[in-house]
Amino acid sequence: MLFYLIRRFLSALVTIFLASALVFVAILAVPGDPAEIILGINASPQALAALREQLGLNEPAWRRYLSWLGGVVRGDFGESLNYQRPVATLIVDRLEVSVPLALGAMFVACVIALPVGIVAALSRGRWLDPLLTSLAQLGAAVPSFWLGLMLILLFSVELGWLPAAGYVPWERDPVATLRSLALPVLALGLGQAAVMTRMTRAAMIEVLSQDYVRTASAKGLPRRRVVGGHALRNALVTLVTIFGLSLSQLLIGSIIIEQVFSLPGLGRLVLTAIGTRDFPLLQGEILVYASAIVLLSFLVDVSYGLLDPRIRYQ
Amino acid sequence: MTRLLFAALAVSLSLTLGSVSVAQDAPEPVYGGSVTVAIVAEPPGWDPTVSTSQEIPRVVYHNVYEGLVRLNRNGDIVPALAESWQVSEDGLTWTFQLRDGVVFHDGSSLDAADVVAKFERATDPDSGHTNPAYYESIETVSAEGSTVTFTLNEPNTSLLYNLARPDSIIYPPELADTQRSQPIGTGPFRFAEYVEGSEVRLERFEDYYLDGVPYLDSVTFRIIGDPNTQFAALRAGDIDLIGVALSPENALQVQNDPNLKLSQGTATTEITLALNNRLEPLSNPLVRQAITHAIDKSVIVDGAMFGFGTVIGSHVSPAEPYFVDLSNTYPYNPERARELLAEAGYPDGFSLRFELPEPYNIERRSGQVIAQQLTEVGIEVDLSIVEWGTWIQRIFLGADYDMTIIGHSEPRDINIYANPDYYYGYDNAEVQALIEAAEQAPSDLAQNEIYARVAEIIAQDAVNVWVFSPPYLVAAANDVYGFWEDQPTPAIDMTEVYRAP
Repeated sequence: MLFYLIRRFLSALVTIFLASALVFVAILAVPGDPAEIILGINASPQALAALREQLGLNEPAWRRYLSWLGGVVRGDFGESLNYQRPVATLIVDRLEVSVPLALGAMFVACVIALPVGIVAALSRGRWLDPLLTSLAQLGAAVPSFWLGLMLILLFSVELGWLPAAGYVPWERDPVATLRSLALPVLALGLGQAAVMTRMTRAAMIEVLSQDYVRTASAKGLPRRRVVGGHALRNALVTLVTIFGLSLSQLLIGSIIIEQVFSLPGLGRLVLTAIGTRDFPLLQGEILVYASAIVLLSFLVDVSYGLLDPRIRYQ
Repeated sequence: MTRLLFAALAVSLSLTLGSVSVAQDAPEPVYGGSVTVAIVAEPPGWDPTVSTSQEIPRVVYHNVYEGLVRLNRNGDIVPALAESWQVSEDGLTWTFQLRDGVVFHDGSSLDAADVVAKFERATDPDSGHTNPAYYESIETVSAEGSTVTFTLNEPNTSLLYNLARPDSIIYPPELADTQRSQPIGTGPFRFAEYVEGSEVRLERFEDYYLDGVPYLDSVTFRIIGDPNTQFAALRAGDIDLIGVALSPENALQVQNDPNLKLSQGTATTEITLALNNRLEPLSNPLVRQAITHAIDKSVIVDGAMFGFGTVIGSHVSPAEPYFVDLSNTYPYNPERARELLAEAGYPDGFSLRFELPEPYNIERRSGQVIAQQLTEVGIEVDLSIVEWGTWIQRIFLGADYDMTIIGHSEPRDINIYANPDYYYGYDNAEVQALIEAAEQAPSDLAQNEIYARVAEIIAQDAVNVWVFSPPYLVAAANDVYGFWEDQPTPAIDMTEVYRAP
């Protein structure tokens, strides 16, 4: 097990390193100069040269990358070119928006997808299954930004229950924070719920057709115990994988939702960083995203052993 | 022809009606209360002298920061921190008399040394100050009592206007490093709190030097990027005013909403179909004339702007004092366009790259209509959308393009036609001499006459196709009054805004 953990950790490091290098090359490949973006299109060459010097943009690209990497190893993520503030504090500030958003949406998605998916699988061949499946299909097809706008029109404009846009920080008024996160969480969670419902249904149908389930029914176990004890327990390995992947998708999906609801989250910071060619900030953000996704997939792998005692790590 | 005239008439009519209706029923100003205003993007800090981001002056200029002079809501230059000024006979010495009793928001007093320090920094190209070109003509700045004297190396009529720009604001020089996060100015509102990436709150400054203003106790600027969300937030009552990026389709809906009002003012933007004058076949004036004849501008205003906009014929919006209607220089006439193309040696047309800037919706929509219209006279258009950083780098700075479309929103920017290195690649010695003369013109009036002449020449040369000038649209809750209906400078000035039942 220990050997497995070390191996996973090393491969995670390589993955994250490759992701950061890839993004660095990508941002070098697109045209655009941070100094020109900061000083505007009428800037004089002399002012631009002075700013490039100050921002360290005159160094060759590989040296900039290495010095960034060296900083990261020491825990220093550098300074944002556009905001001229430490990248680490910028990111940490935004996590208080993005993490609750992703977790809340995941909660909404699970609460809907698990029961609906299971019920759909159990009622296969009857009228309820096609109805639920079609609803899930519809939900998956609706783009989240459109759903977000519809939710705003219903709950903010028509009913006046929740704010249409904006964000109140936790330390000021936690209730107001929850209110400002409610609609984005719903918009993000409903779309994901639709996708997860279909996956849950498929996973349950697969397990329900196994021999041991037929055996369990044949030996006279009540339906509730067949489903809960045998089918669901065995479907869990698949479901955990799906949910782990879904959480990474939610992190990415939040970029669009934060834009629609004007939330100052990590996603919007990514868009700003790309627009201003703010590579230290973008690199830092990619590092956070890549680490989160690697960590999630690691947790998913470890959970297999807990859910299915037959799985051993070598 | 008739249709064009009619469309122009309809636009000017609705312009007049719009501004009258808002002005007419304004009740007496009331003190107190607060107003929330939408802005579209997160500014990179708050100091307009270190970054040219347009989001910064929208919030802080006039409200928090002021300069020696400023523009009023009609676009006239009026006193701000300087109560009066004189220019010497030869135009080389400018003397500004500072106002008495002006205090910064931190309690310290404004003195002439603060002004000198500011312009020493602005004229130092290594200081990182934005747009040093605005101050190039300043040789020295000196102070005596409460008088500040600028000595110029050549007469410069534009100096006063440049001193009214957001770059020319004055703050305590010893606090320069903290302005980015904690602005300290002399304006009617002081900077109270910034909730990172979400909203910024300004509060009434009790020691403001003008009596009677501001009316509001506080103003909040909330960052809402999506125009549809902005509009929903206005309808829901979460915000009270949209002064940036109100889309034409939402403007139509505002007109039909009994709780909201719409004002249409003039703006200094020209939506410009830029043609690369350096490259074949666009280097041929006949081809550029043909393209102008091929485009029905009123269809674009109706199609892309739902009728909100004025057709123009040169690089001058109706908001400029030197505006002359030149929209009939090469009017819509596809037959004539085909003849000119044949005359220029392209009877079967040719093909052009046409690149649209990704962030700008109005330009993208207009560009699609234009591409369609050009196809009808036999010009094959290869349409694509480019990301903003790429647009700046390759098209604007690199001049590597055939055609693009962009709104030029800078006021008094006709001098760009004197720069042969500008991305249009337009090199005309006569225009260059005229602009040179305009810089040193003895008066604003004389300068405006020269600009009007330049506008005519570039229209004759069909350097670009100037399509239309979009109006400055403001949507507000019915009880909000006193906001600026035109936008002579990129500021959302809240000094005279009030709420009344």
